[in-house]
Amino acid sequence: MVLFTAEEKAAVTSLWGKVNVEEAGGEVLGRLLVVYPWTQRFFDSFGNLSSPSAIMGNPKVKAHGKKVLTSFGDAIKNMDNLKGAFAKLSELHCDKLHVDPENFRLLGNVMVIVLASHFGRDFTPDVQAAWQKLVAGVANALAHKYH
Amino acid sequence: MLSAQERAHIAQVWDLIAGHEAPFGAELLLRFPGVWAVLACKGHPPHSPPAPVGLRMLEAVGVAVRHVDNLRAALSPLADLHAHVLRVDPTNFPLLIQCFQVVLASHLQDEFTVEMQAAWDKFLTGIAVVLTEKYR
Repeated sequence: MVLFTAEEKAAVTSLWGKVNVEEAGGEVLGRLLVVYPWTQRFFDSFGNLSSPSAIMGNPKVKAHGKKVLTSFGDAIKNMDNLKGAFAKLSELHCDKLHVDPENFRLLGNVMVIVLASHFGRDFTPDVQAAWQKLVAGVANALAHKYH
Repeated sequence: MLSAQERAHIAQVWDLIAGHEAPFGAELLLRFPGVWAVLACKGHPPHSPPAPVGLRMLEAVGVAVRHVDNLRAALSPLADLHAHVLRVDPTNFPLLIQCFQVVLASHLQDEFTVEMQAAWDKFLTGIAVVLTEKYR
């Protein structure tokens, strides 16, 4: 089980309070689809994904990105029990969506880069380390129920 | 293969880094948690990587930028070094690439566009492939 120190939790929650979940969600998912184009395979029904600007402006990408990041918000409230918090979503991603867990790691890394670009100097090495630990924990939790 | 657009993004960002390789390299190593394991093999005391290491990494990226059409030849001596002397575990490269982009993103902020991220992720991954190609 992943254990977060008080400092790590503080680093995560203080930044999260300043994140616009709706905007950041679209940006994170959009960047995933642009930087790692093979991830588009899960979003055939999303319409126009033909160029970076099409992807970043796509309303379905933005909506789904918001959903994904809202889930992250739930993770942050349950940092001591990520596996429990994500049990249902893990089953969904395995049994229904058939998403390769590697995608969770890619998304987590993109999210860290987006946070770095938003927060600049404030995204210190310690803050980055806390967030890398969180996104890795979330990725593992989402992969936990795979069989 | 990098497109013309991707090369332009690489060059554009490199223009901002050039001249600042030492501080960039220092920050890169501060962010990279695996650095102690990497440097321990070389007999360096942990918690004090020699400043030249980060600088040398950035200088190597500069070489790659100038020879983006022929990474294999340009980085061949470094590939030999990594395969036969350093033998840094290949799994370190993805995290180093992530930390490199975090440094870029935190300094460039809005200017680190999605197209730049795509180009740099692809470019740095290409460098890592060349550097680990001779491992076996």
